[in-house]
Amino acid sequence: MALLEAQDLTLAYDAVSIVDELSLALPAGEVTIIVGANGCGKSTLLRGLARLLKPAGGKVLLDGEDIHSRPAREVAKMLGLLPQTPTAPDGITVRELIGRGRYPHQGWFKRWTSEDEAAVERAMTLTSTTGLAERPVDELSGGQRQRVWIAMALAQETELLLLDEPTTYLDVAHQLEVLDVISELNRTRGTTVVIVLHDLNLAARYADHLIALKEGKIVAAGHPAAVVTEAMVKNVFGMPCRVIPDPVAGTPLVLPIGRHRVLRAETVLAANGIHRTQNPDADLDAGPAPVQGPQAGTQEVQARATAADPGSNTPAGEGIERAEEISDMLAFATKVVRIEPIGENFRRLTLAGKDLEHFGAGDAPLDLRIKLMFTPDMDPAGGGDQLPAAFESLRPGALLSRADATGWYRRWLALPAESRGVMRTYTVRALREAGHRDNCGSEPEIDIDFVLHLRTDGGKLTGGPATVWAAQARLGDPILLLGPNAALCGADYGGIEFRPGTAKRILLAGDETAAPAICSILESLPAGITGHALIEVPDTGDIQGSSTRSGVSVQWLPRGSHPHGELLAAAVRDIVAIPAAGAVLTGAEPEDVDIDEQILWETSTASTQPFYAWLAGEASVIKDMRRYLVRDAGMDRKQVAFMGYWRRGKSET
Amino acid sequence: MARVNLLACAGILAAVLLNLLAGRHPFSVPELLAALAGETVPGVSFMLWEDRLPQAAVGILAGAAFGASGAIFQRMLRNPLASPDVIGVGYGASAAAVAGMLLFGAQGLGLSLIACAGALAVALLIYSIAEAGKNTGPRLILAGIAVAAMLQSVIQYLLTRTDVRTAGDALRWLTGSLSASTWERASLLAAALAILFPLLVPAAAKLRILELGDDTAAGLGLKVRSTRLGLILLGVGLCAVATAVTGPLAFVAFLAGPLALRLCKGRSHLGSAALTGALLVTTATFLAANILPDIQLPVGVVTGALGAPFLIWVLVRTNKEGT
Repeated sequence: MALLEAQDLTLAYDAVSIVDELSLALPAGEVTIIVGANGCGKSTLLRGLARLLKPAGGKVLLDGEDIHSRPAREVAKMLGLLPQTPTAPDGITVRELIGRGRYPHQGWFKRWTSEDEAAVERAMTLTSTTGLAERPVDELSGGQRQRVWIAMALAQETELLLLDEPTTYLDVAHQLEVLDVISELNRTRGTTVVIVLHDLNLAARYADHLIALKEGKIVAAGHPAAVVTEAMVKNVFGMPCRVIPDPVAGTPLVLPIGRHRVLRAETVLAANGIHRTQNPDADLDAGPAPVQGPQAGTQEVQARATAADPGSNTPAGEGIERAEEISDMLAFATKVVRIEPIGENFRRLTLAGKDLEHFGAGDAPLDLRIKLMFTPDMDPAGGGDQLPAAFESLRPGALLSRADATGWYRRWLALPAESRGVMRTYTVRALREAGHRDNCGSEPEIDIDFVLHLRTDGGKLTGGPATVWAAQARLGDPILLLGPNAALCGADYGGIEFRPGTAKRILLAGDETAAPAICSILESLPAGITGHALIEVPDTGDIQGSSTRSGVSVQWLPRGSHPHGELLAAAVRDIVAIPAAGAVLTGAEPEDVDIDEQILWETSTASTQPFYAWLAGEASVIKDMRRYLVRDAGMDRKQVAFMGYWRRGKSET
Repeated sequence: MARVNLLACAGILAAVLLNLLAGRHPFSVPELLAALAGETVPGVSFMLWEDRLPQAAVGILAGAAFGASGAIFQRMLRNPLASPDVIGVGYGASAAAVAGMLLFGAQGLGLSLIACAGALAVALLIYSIAEAGKNTGPRLILAGIAVAAMLQSVIQYLLTRTDVRTAGDALRWLTGSLSASTWERASLLAAALAILFPLLVPAAAKLRILELGDDTAAGLGLKVRSTRLGLILLGVGLCAVATAVTGPLAFVAFLAGPLALRLCKGRSHLGSAALTGALLVTTATFLAANILPDIQLPVGVVTGALGAPFLIWVLVRTNKEGT
């Protein structure tokens, strides 16, 4: 096997040295790719290695002997070269051109032999140019022409092949075609290949050995996985980038970061007219806190609700009207009609009731949220008639004054804490109108997925009230839910928190508590939307089938023994790049939210950005990701919704 | 290709016969056959053996030399414009010859030698200008054009400085003519070409590699610099010996290569170009003698008149192809 080395090689044009005292040995039988910025001397180095340039210092050794001291023809039998822009004579045919690669094997008197003919045939077979043999080269496409030139170099039948940017001017498919041919040649014949290549990602993919050149010196050399790093690219190309594993080849993939067209930073919140709420239900007529929230949260909401009231310009009620005609929010009495385990930690309850005929908010809303009422004395066996009066008048068909239609939340809060029960927010997983073929009975139905975060303490289930209720629920159990009035609510209903605007690329991320919402969003997403959905769940048994017409790829992340949110955060980091320092105006530190005291809830309404992210789940996990996306990745607040559903360690009490 | 060569040979023969049988002062077929057989036919034998046949021989040999020379340069430099008469080699011969004629009264063999020396000197000058650095090909053409312009002014200066009658001789020589052809000159040319033509075989083999580009050629084990120098010397030699005998026959070298390429549908080689050159000269000889009723034109006038439109055509075509 021929071995090519450079020893203290200095190459210069006139007096300007391009390659400076460079030493290298090309690993035999491997594909070596030389990369570097324009003018770094990579092509010069290749010319030097191919003895086209006489060294100004040092030497190039072929099998230990100075390449320039050996007869040119003898070297040409061992070392083939494809220069960057070879020229084909007018009208020459493919076979004729490939045949010229046999020149070093022919002497003054030794003419064309059958061995030459066989070599040409082999070269044409390997490059799939046999079918082109009689065509003139100038009629071929760029990719075909490049294959023909490679075939010419192959017909030379050398153990070493040097190629100078063989993919220049080719489209991406032809680039791969050419590199595949070279790769195949390396595998089948064991030819040692040296390529100068522009495309760093293709270089990383096709090289066994990568050499990074800067100002005529080797900066890094070795296996691409070791050589291609963000620091190396920055050093060699002066370009900030991210390096991630190539999902196709597993090799490093370089994602360049320019000054524009990266995920933009937040500049001025107000200038962008960002709508920001801490309470998702503030839009609602005095909605309650997002539920599994701590007591503190409830107090917070209470304060807001009170404060918001004077600003409410709802006309004071005159006279009594039917609740479904005047109230956006209705109370629906339902019963559990089906219980279905859908994962180790998930349970789907189907609620049905005649009231639900009035339930809805526009067509196929994404992430439609409702509230479930749990009363302390709710005896599983007891009747469902013990509804607080505050809600009785909100049921469809009930009579209500306009004043009462807006004041129900305050009236409910005014009840003694022990008896008024608690409210919890859930996502409607599916809504089926009466008569739907999947329904158990004749009434409209709602599916709600519950996450069962439960422990057993001394034989008694402990957990949040909703969880305990759901875990013990039996068919026929009554439950009251508060939700939008189909007659008055549209897609702008405040309980809908997934508002991608015009975004065509989205990111959905959350833990198991967000899984029902994410699954329901996925099912309603139209085709044409792409992006990622990341759902961290406790166990592999919690992975649910989720269907979507959109191009969003869904990834379930079974937590196993990892800390809560760790996998999710890592996956989000993989998907959303951090721009390099200075590349974009990164977002300022987002104002702190004390998640133990406050609810982390930031959503926007009308985003016009192409990208939209929606993150929900455990508050501290969401807070970390918010910090990452807003401050590090510089994401605009209009593009994101952050929702801390619950607080680990504090919730469920 | 073989067919094209055969056709070219037939064409040469036809042109020569046409010139003998249908040209100015035509011979009858029996007269011609008798004279060729060695009989002394009054008024025919002398004309045939001392004028027409040496003229045809010199025409064929010079045409072939010009054609091969032009093709070597054009293919080596990958440019149809790069024929020796465009890049100044021809002017080197002309300037040296005019200087020899006007300043030293050189004639005959001496004049031929001076012309050869001039062509070689100019070729080496151009090569040394072009060789220092990259892009030798285009630089060679540009350097040639510059040197040609310089030499033209030298020729003009010499002509204006001399006696009108001597200047007339020089002008006739500069136009290129076969009228002074003798067997002595023909054999001189034949002897020179007997040495140079065989070299076309290895030259063609190297040219096939060199025309792939310098780097590719070097990669295939060709010594690019020495090969190029050798080809230039061969091309200049061919051009110079022919010029020395006939004067610069304008555009023959320039026309023969591309014409042969068209005739062979892109698979030309040096032999075809040489034959095409010979065909061009013999045809031009016939035309020169017969195109105007009263005046016999020098051959160079006809080749020049043919060449100029062709040059324009080449330029237009090159522009259209955008290459």
